[in-house]
Amino acid sequence: MRQDILARYCGMLAGAASIAIGAAVMILWLARPMDLAEAAPTLFAMQFNAALCFVLAGAAICLLLNGALPLSAGLSGLAGLLAAATLAEHLLHVDLGIDRMFVAPFVSPGTGPAGRMAPNTALCFLLLSASVALTALLGRSSSPLRVVLAGLVFMISTTALIGYLLSVSTAREWLPLARMSPQSAFCFATLSIGLILGGIVRLGYDLSTVAATLGAATYLLLVLMTYVELIQRGEDGGLPAEGADARSTLLAILLLSGAVYACLIVYAFRNSERSRRMALQLAESQKRLEAIIQTAVDGFVTIDERGTILSANPACERIFGYQVEEIIGRNVKLLMPAPYRDEHDRYLANYRQTGVARIIGAGREAEGQRKDGSTFPVELSVSRIDLGHQVLYGGILRDISERKRHERDILDANAELEEFSYRTSHDLRSPIASSLGLVAIAEDMVRREVPAAELQGVLARIETSFRKLDHLIQNIISLTRTKMLDEPESAIAVAGAVRETVERLRHMEGGAVSTVHIDIPETMTLRKRASRFQIILDNLLSNAIKYHDPAEAMPEISVRAACDRGRFVLTVADNGLGIAAADEPKLFQMFKRFHPQRAEGSGLGLYILRKSVEQLGGTVAYRRREKGSLFTVTLPQEDRR
Amino acid sequence: MKMRSILTVDDDENDLFICTYTIQRFDPDIRILKALNGLEALNLLKETTPDAIILDINMPVMNGFEFLEHYTREFETHAPVVAMLTSSHHAADRERALRYDFVKNYFEKPLTPENLKAMATFLGDERDRRAGL
Repeated sequence: MRQDILARYCGMLAGAASIAIGAAVMILWLARPMDLAEAAPTLFAMQFNAALCFVLAGAAICLLLNGALPLSAGLSGLAGLLAAATLAEHLLHVDLGIDRMFVAPFVSPGTGPAGRMAPNTALCFLLLSASVALTALLGRSSSPLRVVLAGLVFMISTTALIGYLLSVSTAREWLPLARMSPQSAFCFATLSIGLILGGIVRLGYDLSTVAATLGAATYLLLVLMTYVELIQRGEDGGLPAEGADARSTLLAILLLSGAVYACLIVYAFRNSERSRRMALQLAESQKRLEAIIQTAVDGFVTIDERGTILSANPACERIFGYQVEEIIGRNVKLLMPAPYRDEHDRYLANYRQTGVARIIGAGREAEGQRKDGSTFPVELSVSRIDLGHQVLYGGILRDISERKRHERDILDANAELEEFSYRTSHDLRSPIASSLGLVAIAEDMVRREVPAAELQGVLARIETSFRKLDHLIQNIISLTRTKMLDEPESAIAVAGAVRETVERLRHMEGGAVSTVHIDIPETMTLRKRASRFQIILDNLLSNAIKYHDPAEAMPEISVRAACDRGRFVLTVADNGLGIAAADEPKLFQMFKRFHPQRAEGSGLGLYILRKSVEQLGGTVAYRRREKGSLFTVTLPQEDRR
Repeated sequence: MKMRSILTVDDDENDLFICTYTIQRFDPDIRILKALNGLEALNLLKETTPDAIILDINMPVMNGFEFLEHYTREFETHAPVVAMLTSSHHAADRERALRYDFVKNYFEKPLTPENLKAMATFLGDERDRRAGL
């Protein structure tokens, strides 16, 4: 956008300069200052018609840049028409009367007919107005042609200007191309620059390339003209005839060197442009890569052939706990724990010698060591970076502790599920198999007509079998409910809930034997999911009742609850059978039974207890008492969910 | 071949009752030894070696497989026929049990007279084999 504005200003400036110079010359012609004409005849080298054309062309360009396209085309057409007529006069050697149409020339500084502008001036106007008119009428699509036409004008005018700079006196003696007043040449140069600039900005061409091309073309034109002039001089006998060979050699060298030089300029410019572009692209891609590496979640580390760390990205700081500056320059072994640390040197040396890689090209799992000495699993992929003079290795590493933990959790859950299905398939069939066997026995007894009392015993056994099955199924249901149930929290009156549970369990076997002490403040409430809390109470209390010691004179159970620093702690202590020390690690696992004398247990009770407590975000612990057991359930009072 | 004594190892009282009844109806002369788990069975076996053992797998304290491992390592003379009696059939369990050369049968509960007949046949084969040695 800034280039666009620049081109516009240049164009406007060129147009204004052209109008100003044209107008000034016109005023001079109209004012007829005889003294000035004798003192500075060069001022009158620009004919009135040419001055008029400059005013028209300058105005046309200004209008073009301001978007007044039809008017611009009209004005440039007018100038072009005037120029075309003059050119026709020159070529056909006729007088159409346009030379003195506006003013009668009072001086005639040139060689041509008085008041007639030079043929190259007329040509330039023709090209210039064609360029303007094309742009105004065709718009964007004409841009390349516009640039070429304006470029031609630029070449002609600068040739003339350079001619003046080299030798004012002979300039007008050069080819007709150079026969142009200096002020005309200047105006043409500025106007053409304005047009070219607008054109190439529109086309998106590179500015310096176009400038170099124009410069080289102008230079070639100059060389060509010098060559032609020299040849003409030679034909006129300007140089001695015997020097003809040397002269033509000189000319050939001049021409050749000019051509080579021009090509070199263009080549050098193009080359420098290309390398500038490449450097830009390189810097850009480096920036992009840098941004990716700097913000990546994965760690990037590069090391040299001896294992020295050359670079590391910020992710490494997070993964390893070192600052990047701390590890750069140190051996990469620093980031590895024991077995890898000791093998790494040997591995690198081995790879240098044999070229056999273990990790390169293929990702693998390894172990990393943090600054604090802790180790963690990493996924590592290493690539070889061959720089020609040096070989580096780039490593991408990712901390996969979390993934590993999830994997382990899933495996554990799977194993638990497998164990569950194995055990349920067994334990569900077990009472049924017993019942089938007992039914067969009962039939046999009926056939043998044994006493009814004996048969009664078998029927009672069938009943206990079914009770056992029922108990197991109830347990499985409560276990699945622990997992599935989505129940809102409610305020539970803890003391009341415990009392109710104890009352209900009094009816179970041994329920009436134990004395239960409840030490819970009446006002204590707990916001939890009630059915889950009930499962916890049921399990703790029924276990304490079921596994009382028959040999104990005073079976006792004491239930306590307290709130401590945002935690609810429930303890159930008994003086019952307890659990053997060797069994403690398996205590809360599924399908573990610890009291062979009490075959009615499903082996799921404490497992269900643990699962329910975990569902409520708490923990359950067991402590062996001198006599009996102590279970402690701890629940967070502000439920996290 | 006639069996003279059988050790039944099972934690379930009903299953023990079924075994006892079935064995007595099969042959009232067979002496029946009882153990509630593997550990009890091992203690019993230190004093006597029965003709056959009927062994449950899932038991507290010491299960059937743990018992088999101890029995094979700690005892020189083994009962000629050991029959597994389990409530559900698992191919992996069966394979694991039959790896012990003294385990001859793998039955599903409840125990039937046919099971006992099969055990008696195996006992005969085993006696012949041992006599041949």
